[in-house]
Amino acid sequence: MKTGIAFWKKEWMDLVRSGKAFLLLLISAVFGVMNPAIAKLTPWLMEIMSESLQETGLRVTEVEVDALTSWAQFYKNMPMELLVVVLLLCGIFVQEYQRGTLVLALTKGLSRRSVYLAKTLMCVLTWSMCFWMSFFITWMYNSYYWDDGIISNLWTAAVLFWLFGIWIFLAMVFFSAVAKEIFGVLAGTGMVLLISYVAGMFPKIQNYLPTKLLEAQTLLTESAVPEDFYPAVITAVLLAAAAGLTGMIVFERKRI
Amino acid sequence: MNMLEICHISKRFGDKQVLRDVDFTVPEHAVYGFVGQNGAGKTTTMKLVLGLLAADSGEILVNGEKVSFGENPVNRYIGYLPDVPEFYPYMTAAEYLNFCGAITGMDLQECKKRTEEMLALVGLAGEKHRIRGFSRGMKQRLGIAQALLNRPKLLICDEPTSALDPVGRKEILDILVSAKEQTTVLFSTHILSDVEKICEQFAFLHEGKILRQGSMEEMRKSCGQAGFEIELEREQDAAKLLRQFPEGIQRGGAYVYYEPGKGQQMEAVLAWILGEGMRIRKAEKCGLTLEALFMEVVGK
Ligand SMILES: Nc1ncnc2c1ncn2[C@@H]1O[C@H](COP(=O)(O)OP(=O)(O)OP(=O)(O)O)[C@@H](O)[C@H]1O
Ligand SMILES: [Mg+2]
Repeated sequence: MKTGIAFWKKEWMDLVRSGKAFLLLLISAVFGVMNPAIAKLTPWLMEIMSESLQETGLRVTEVEVDALTSWAQFYKNMPMELLVVVLLLCGIFVQEYQRGTLVLALTKGLSRRSVYLAKTLMCVLTWSMCFWMSFFITWMYNSYYWDDGIISNLWTAAVLFWLFGIWIFLAMVFFSAVAKEIFGVLAGTGMVLLISYVAGMFPKIQNYLPTKLLEAQTLLTESAVPEDFYPAVITAVLLAAAAGLTGMIVFERKRI
Repeated sequence: MNMLEICHISKRFGDKQVLRDVDFTVPEHAVYGFVGQNGAGKTTTMKLVLGLLAADSGEILVNGEKVSFGENPVNRYIGYLPDVPEFYPYMTAAEYLNFCGAITGMDLQECKKRTEEMLALVGLAGEKHRIRGFSRGMKQRLGIAQALLNRPKLLICDEPTSALDPVGRKEILDILVSAKEQTTVLFSTHILSDVEKICEQFAFLHEGKILRQGSMEEMRKSCGQAGFEIELEREQDAAKLLRQFPEGIQRGGAYVYYEPGKGQQMEAVLAWILGEGMRIRKAEKCGLTLEALFMEVVGK
């Protein structure tokens, strides 16, 4: 336990000194500010556009923006943030295999489980911090500028999307235990995502797939109820746990 | 007691048989030389001991406990210096050693103290830069420091001196010798003079097989009497020498070699040369060196 924490501290040092921590903070802040900013600027942009559009004979009606516009932007942008965080962290295992830096830690008797858990925890925490930071920034602006009262299930929707990210990250950790190179990690994770996405075309199983969580924003306008997402939540949690556990078993027997 | 027992280990990579029935033991507090040419399988053997590779057959015991592939708790007894050690480039040497102490469960105070001791020992005490900018020799030194940090019972060094200058090499050999009080050292090399200098025991590995093993003393004894060679300044002197002591073999120019066991004593020959007032360029006793033995064993 103590030794695992020591290794986990090293992961933080890695994140900070490689400049990734700064980059992640910056990106999360930008993604947080961007949503209300876009919402706020929309009417103004429309006005400019409408002038040029009027010449072509089109009439633009006044656009109404509210908290919902900003939250819609949020859910549109979050997959992009998730992608960026995945890209920044996808080397967390593989880079050590390739550099050979794990050899010295493991040949000192540090348990492989500690290494695996420290890195997994690192991924989960980093994603959580990035996501919730963007969320809180957007939330602050939104409640300052508009009436947040029109939004339903604000927190539930956010938790669902966060959970989707956790699922992706555990898939990434699993493929990091299996693969030797970054390509394997990204291809594996991408494939899992693609399978879930394609399977979503069959209405019968649609509601059971983790990719269903990407529709979390439908909760905001009450065009869906939280109960609709329960099956997807259960599959996402089970799959993430299974990926985490099998990854650990693979990692304990991996040639490093 | 034996610190390391390697029992009938075989290993193949694909269709290449890298180790065949390798079998030797390293007693406690020994300095054991593991000698072999490039590609003989030294690194592979060491990785098997550390559980980094799985053996096809046979078993390995460290401190009486069985080594397992993958998660290998036996590693807590071992300090390992790989042939090319790799560290986290964003740390300083002291930070790295503190990290090593922490992941082996050392307490903070002890860890700080050991780090300073080790850095002083390998000559990196004043080094404040990050490892990113270290030369190969500096990395090798840090590698030794991290291997010795938590007082391992078995120290495994894979060619510890290969990246070092002559002074550094001597320093590291001295460290290995002094480490033997507390630990057992197994080190691989293809520098035979290093083995002669510091090892009590050795094993020759050739194409995955142990061809010869034993103690240096036995080896020296079994080699019996030594021959000697003399190089004179002038060729005509060599001819005169050969007339006086005809057992010698002239090997080009003023270079004469006397085989062992032909009855000539080096001292007697030298006394005669000095009496004649000849000038000597070089006189050397050629004990049957490890190198000669190695060449013989390898069959070249
Ligand atoms: N991962 C691997 N896959 C396939 N072959 C390997 C692998 N590792 C080593 N070998 C082969 O095993 C043989 C022994 O390699 P090893 O590294 O043990 O030699 P060595 O004695 O340490 O040599 P050197 O003095 O050059 O360090 C070599 O022929 C090498 O090609
Ligand atoms: Mg080698």
